[in-house]
Amino acid sequence: MFWFQVERLLNYWPLLLKGLGMTVSLSLISLLIGGVIGLLFGIIRAGRIRWLSFVVGLYIDLFRGTPFLVQVFICFFILPSVGIELSAFSAGVLALSNLSACFIGEIVASGIKAVPRGQSEAALSSGFRHWQQLRLIILPQALRIVRPSLVGQFILLVKDSSVISAIGIMDLTRSGWMIVQNIPNGLLIFGVVGVGYFIICYPMIFLARRMERRNQSSLL
Amino acid sequence: MIRFQGLNKWFGNALHVLKDIDLDVAKGEVVVVCGPSGSGKSTLIRCVNGLEPFQKGSLTVDGVDLGAKGVALRDLRMEVGFVFQQFNLYPHKTALENVTLAPIHVRGLSKTEAVERGEALLAKVGLADRMNNYPSQLSGGQQQRVAIARSLCMQPKIMLFDEPTSALDPEMITEVLDVMVSLAKEGMTMMVVTHEMGFARKVAHRVVFMDQGAIVESGEPASFFGNPTHDRTRDFLSKVLHH
Ligand SMILES: Nc1ncnc2c1ncn2[C@@H]1O[C@H](COP(=O)(O)OP(=O)(O)OP(=O)(O)O)[C@@H](O)[C@H]1O
Ligand SMILES: [Mg+2]
Repeated sequence: MFWFQVERLLNYWPLLLKGLGMTVSLSLISLLIGGVIGLLFGIIRAGRIRWLSFVVGLYIDLFRGTPFLVQVFICFFILPSVGIELSAFSAGVLALSNLSACFIGEIVASGIKAVPRGQSEAALSSGFRHWQQLRLIILPQALRIVRPSLVGQFILLVKDSSVISAIGIMDLTRSGWMIVQNIPNGLLIFGVVGVGYFIICYPMIFLARRMERRNQSSLL
Repeated sequence: MIRFQGLNKWFGNALHVLKDIDLDVAKGEVVVVCGPSGSGKSTLIRCVNGLEPFQKGSLTVDGVDLGAKGVALRDLRMEVGFVFQQFNLYPHKTALENVTLAPIHVRGLSKTEAVERGEALLAKVGLADRMNNYPSQLSGGQQQRVAIARSLCMQPKIMLFDEPTSALDPEMITEVLDVMVSLAKEGMTMMVVTHEMGFARKVAHRVVFMDQGAIVESGEPASFFGNPTHDRTRDFLSKVLHH
């Protein structure tokens, strides 16, 4: 019986691969968009413009403090009612980019704050403009400090992307749902799906750990 | 070159850190500032390049009135080098990059020009063979010499030093002081917060003693060390000279 199911599962291999591809591309696109916006959020959060920092902080907390599934539903079901029609894919990318921007924003802000004050005083004393200071001196150090957390965030992003299957995107999780309707062995199917996620995430877990070690040794 | 007139500074409302400071530093003059911990020495020289604002009195540096509204601090800072106790080198840049970064991005020098200037300065402070090392690969004394070269590479008119040797192991103090001595002899205008009284004796034109935010006494090294007039100065000197 089991081997029979495994054999049938092999027929669905292309579907699983496509699902895997969808999960990877969803995550990558959202990482890119979320990364850029998150960087901006982080700079604002750590910056000197009080009210702007407060507003962005509130925005970030709003999304960190609500379930991701609810955010996805809002993007997909509620936005159309105010005239913003999105395909499932765009809605997914929007929700996922937004969430990662919020988390990345907090991470980047913590990195900027972790750069010793002496660095900006030295830069200031040499006459750098504010944005030069940020670009040449503060951000490179801040990003190096938070690199492991950023990779960790990407791992979460990949895993969170499975929530988006709820609005019908054929990602790895959803392809599992499809297959399980024909092969009634949830343990087997979702075992395979889980392995798929793990294959994407494990190299990054490994990378994050290495960065962490390198950070620790360079701080000595 | 630097003129404090009745300058007062508070941290918050209660902490009066600088009290009625009057001090003139002429072009080419070397002034050493000493005093017990917490007396306001760092705050005093940090005012000179606008790292600290002040609330009362006036301060003019190289013709720029720092009390004025909308003062072009950035232009002033290009002309005023600052050397920190903790070096504050950029850890992600090599020694040479540390030195050339501001000349390139602030002064607008071409890379070749800046590198030429930077290499010459690093050679001058004895680090010709260390240009491509990162700060973490250098000793404290070497890092501080890079920091001095970094400031000099902007070709400043004034150099400020805040306890440049206090974070160093004793055997590295001389190598840094030697660089500062030669700088003083070249006629650089300098304000140096230090407890290195040997340095003060050798090159200072004037020694200023601060206590509790006020200048208690100042004079030429010979008279300052020879016969200090205030008890507090004598007290302080006996502490720093006897170890
Ligand atoms: N950013 C700050 N906020 C509040 N108080 C400060 C700040 N910086 C310094 N102070 C206080 O101001 C006083 C003078 O400090 P300052 O650093 O100028 O002294 P100092 O003479 O340089 O001492 P040290 O020899 O320890 O470096 C101290 O009482 C210090 O605690
Ligand atoms: Mg000090």
